[in-house]
Amino acid sequence: MPNAILDPTGGAGRAPAAEQGQTGGLALAPRRRGLTGAKVGLLVNTKQNADIFLEEVGKLLVEQHGAAGILARTKSAFAQPAPECLLKELTAECDVVVTGIGDCGSCSASAVADGVALETRGTPAAVICSDAFTGSADAIAGLHGAPGYQYATTPHPVAVLRPAQVRERAGAVLPDVVALLTDPR
Amino acid sequence: MPSPGRLDPDLAQQAIEYCYQQDWSDGLPLVPVSQPLLDRFLAQTGRGPQEVIGSLEATGRDCTVELAAINAAMAGCQPEYFPVVLAAFEALMLDRAARGGGWQSTSGPAPLIVVNGPVRGELGFNAAGGVFGPGFRPNATVARSVGLIVRNAFGVKPHVLEQATQGLPGRWSICIAENEEESPWEPLSVEAGQPAGASAVSATLLRTCEFVDNRHTQDPEQLLWDFADTISRTGALIFRDTSCGVVLCPEHAQLLAAAGFSKAVVQDWLIEHCGRTRAELRRAGKDGVNENNVRFAADTTGAMKGEGEAGGEVFSRILPSRQHVPLVVAGARNAAISMVVRVFGLWSGTAVAIETREDSRTTGTLSGSRRDGGVE
Repeated sequence: MPNAILDPTGGAGRAPAAEQGQTGGLALAPRRRGLTGAKVGLLVNTKQNADIFLEEVGKLLVEQHGAAGILARTKSAFAQPAPECLLKELTAECDVVVTGIGDCGSCSASAVADGVALETRGTPAAVICSDAFTGSADAIAGLHGAPGYQYATTPHPVAVLRPAQVRERAGAVLPDVVALLTDPR
Repeated sequence: MPSPGRLDPDLAQQAIEYCYQQDWSDGLPLVPVSQPLLDRFLAQTGRGPQEVIGSLEATGRDCTVELAAINAAMAGCQPEYFPVVLAAFEALMLDRAARGGGWQSTSGPAPLIVVNGPVRGELGFNAAGGVFGPGFRPNATVARSVGLIVRNAFGVKPHVLEQATQGLPGRWSICIAENEEESPWEPLSVEAGQPAGASAVSATLLRTCEFVDNRHTQDPEQLLWDFADTISRTGALIFRDTSCGVVLCPEHAQLLAAAGFSKAVVQDWLIEHCGRTRAELRRAGKDGVNENNVRFAADTTGAMKGEGEAGGEVFSRILPSRQHVPLVVAGARNAAISMVVRVFGLWSGTAVAIETREDSRTTGTLSGSRRDGGVE
């Protein structure tokens, strides 16, 4: 009987399929029918133009969808998932949260991780990623037990845009953000 | 040494192909690892197989001593190299960027691993000609081990969580030994806190390496200006500040030392002279610096044009401290060619001691974790 060939992944190479089967994916936080009167949290990740982008999304949600107010917070380490205290504050203070922009390898992954963490805590989240990073975003959703987690995309690139162009992008992605945060049925 | 007549190449090929099918490979053949080989690796350290030596928060994955050993063996290391791999990984984990998003980054950074001390001779690390490789098993396989650990233990693979736009040549192959014998200065490890004569590893992440070929002058300042030009190029500037090491060839290091330049003097000279004028930065769209210290094109609206033109000669320095300019001596003394090494984040400034056989016997006995697998 020859020796077995040892696995360098610690068994993780086989994990995703088993996890999917066991968890059946993430149960999303309950959705509101609309955003009227909702307090909107913005989780800005400091990527270039993320602040202008999310502030515009927040403004449009107030102006066009009746949201009641905005709480904007910044996470200082864009590569890492948001710290627990920040998630706590957002879930305690806000009805829904918009986060982004997933515009690099690590921050696209961590933005989706933040979205999943917020859903797990019962707060609906809309993650916005550049469409160049869907591979990374989808992979991290699977790793966090949420295969197929839905997020909004905006065309790449984002970082080089001028402020007026960023605001146009925010307007263009708005319907997707609203659809992610609500369930009109 | 096994006799070639008794080896079965067809079986070996099947085992190699199996490893490819498992998606464990960086593209090159792997050494299939069995328990006896793993045991020989684990016998080289007093650390327990399940001890966690690094974690990646993004994937929730840990690297244990045992997983590191399997990946190092797959990379082609000899068991005796394993303490160097452990020290190199620990040194890398001191780099904030390697603990954070570095492995997933669009820049696809490469570890730079620098080995100091007697272990270089004992294991046959190359410190001289062709130090950036290839051709030397310890240099090639210690660096490759890190790549396989990131891929297999952390689960960061290209096109999935690894999002390198182009990456860089030789990403998992940059492990150099310092040419201490021909360096006029103290070894990097000593500058980084280890006693003289001790074997140690320093490591950081690089965005690229760029040669400076100056066989043209004996004037130390002319040579330093040549380094400064490469260090200061705008294409590499994304933040207000940058970090850039130099791996000096012995000839350049000796020229500088003979002119009275210590390492610190060279570092201070580069801190003083590396940078760009506001006009040069504006030309490349990098004249603005936002509150996160990221550069941006400040005058696209034309609003700052008048001010920018008036202050066009204002010089911005880009290297904040000596820690941002690590200096190493490596390579052959046959030509005056040095390498600027473009640091991704910031070197920790700390070298990690390499566990010796004496260390592993002592701690192994105490912890009871040493395995009896060192004898063939």
